[in-house]
Amino acid sequence: MINVLLRVFGHLSYTLVAGVIAVTLIISTILLPNRTSIGQVLSSDVVSLVDKSAYVFSLLGSLFTNFTTASAIYLFVVAILFGINISLLTFYIRKRQVASKNKKVHLTSLGGFTSAVLGIGCAACGSIVLSALLSTFGAGTLIVMLPLHGLEFGLVGIILLLFSNRYLIKRIEDPLICPAY
Amino acid sequence: MSEENNQNKSRVTESSLLLKDLLIPISIVVAGLFVGAGLYLSGGPSPFPGLEPIVAQNNEAADLTEKVQPPTEDDHIKGDLSAPIKIVEFSDFDCPFCHRFHDMMNDLTDKYPADEVAWVYRQFPLEQLHPQAPAVALASECVAEIGGNDAFWVFADNYQQARGGGDKTPHAELIPQIVVQTGVDTQAFTECFESERLFPLVQADIDQALETGGRGTPWSILIGPTGKTYPINGALPQSAVEQLIEVALQEA
Repeated sequence: MINVLLRVFGHLSYTLVAGVIAVTLIISTILLPNRTSIGQVLSSDVVSLVDKSAYVFSLLGSLFTNFTTASAIYLFVVAILFGINISLLTFYIRKRQVASKNKKVHLTSLGGFTSAVLGIGCAACGSIVLSALLSTFGAGTLIVMLPLHGLEFGLVGIILLLFSNRYLIKRIEDPLICPAY
Repeated sequence: MSEENNQNKSRVTESSLLLKDLLIPISIVVAGLFVGAGLYLSGGPSPFPGLEPIVAQNNEAADLTEKVQPPTEDDHIKGDLSAPIKIVEFSDFDCPFCHRFHDMMNDLTDKYPADEVAWVYRQFPLEQLHPQAPAVALASECVAEIGGNDAFWVFADNYQQARGGGDKTPHAELIPQIVVQTGVDTQAFTECFESERLFPLVQADIDQALETGGRGTPWSILIGPTGKTYPINGALPQSAVEQLIEVALQEA
């Protein structure tokens, strides 16, 4: 397993992909709760570009004021796992595409990708990514009934992502052979 | 015949391999769908207003902040009512994020002149999360009625400071202690508090918070010089609120 990770992330491009995805996800999550005011500020004709940027940048400090320690940790773990997942998936697709044009490979990859997306979505219940969506669904009712107020979904999401990553690593490890029967 | 058998065998093998390949991702997808379905099926309007527990779990899908009632002399206000920037905060006395935000707002109002930035405090106790919060809100309203605006702010500052500092004193002890610190007539306070006659004020604030889009605390609305409103969702850092003030002033 470690060998596969070293093989994939030995390539700078895959490390960059994972990093960019993780950072993008973290930033988006921090900014998401205040997207309305961000939209107001960015669409303003009279506010200078410097002030627009300063507002968005200053909102990043919400990580320290607007998150619980647990939800911040979940956010980072999920973002990193998601970044790794996408990199592994990309590596897997490329590896298999070189060897074969078999449709099942693409279907498998699609499954992994979807699961990764669902994984981050679930984790978001606790770490705020989809909080707005959850509010729309009225999921707050359920969340409050849970002992960790929704962070349980974060754990489920992390488990799903770990599972998805493990699966992808296993697929990457498999030798490219034609089945005997 | 043999070739046909081989072809059939090959098709079966391909199908089983495809199934094997897809089994785990599909399982993950199904698990994810179950979680999503669980969330979705728990949907519908929440029977418990303002239940979403984490501060930043507000729904800002639509900007409803324009529905905020303009501050009046009846509000609990720190700063001048005529200040061009007014920040209306809907707060829960027992919400840890509100303690952080309260500290920040005190620093902010210390920094800006009273005739430039005013802070309006409205009630948004989340009873399902903090069962005693409505009682604290009621106590603060009683203090305000008896002792006026200054007494209210002494109560609010001291209570938020105590809880924010980790004071775990039971509500039944802490509230009277802080009431004494405000200097109001304790007998009048007890009469007001036990009668619950000011609870409609608390409820009106809760209704206003929900109407303006608040789904968690702290939920604040910055009202600029032109009356334009900007939502402040959660306990934002001071730098962000200051930047938003600058934006509101520029847009005036």
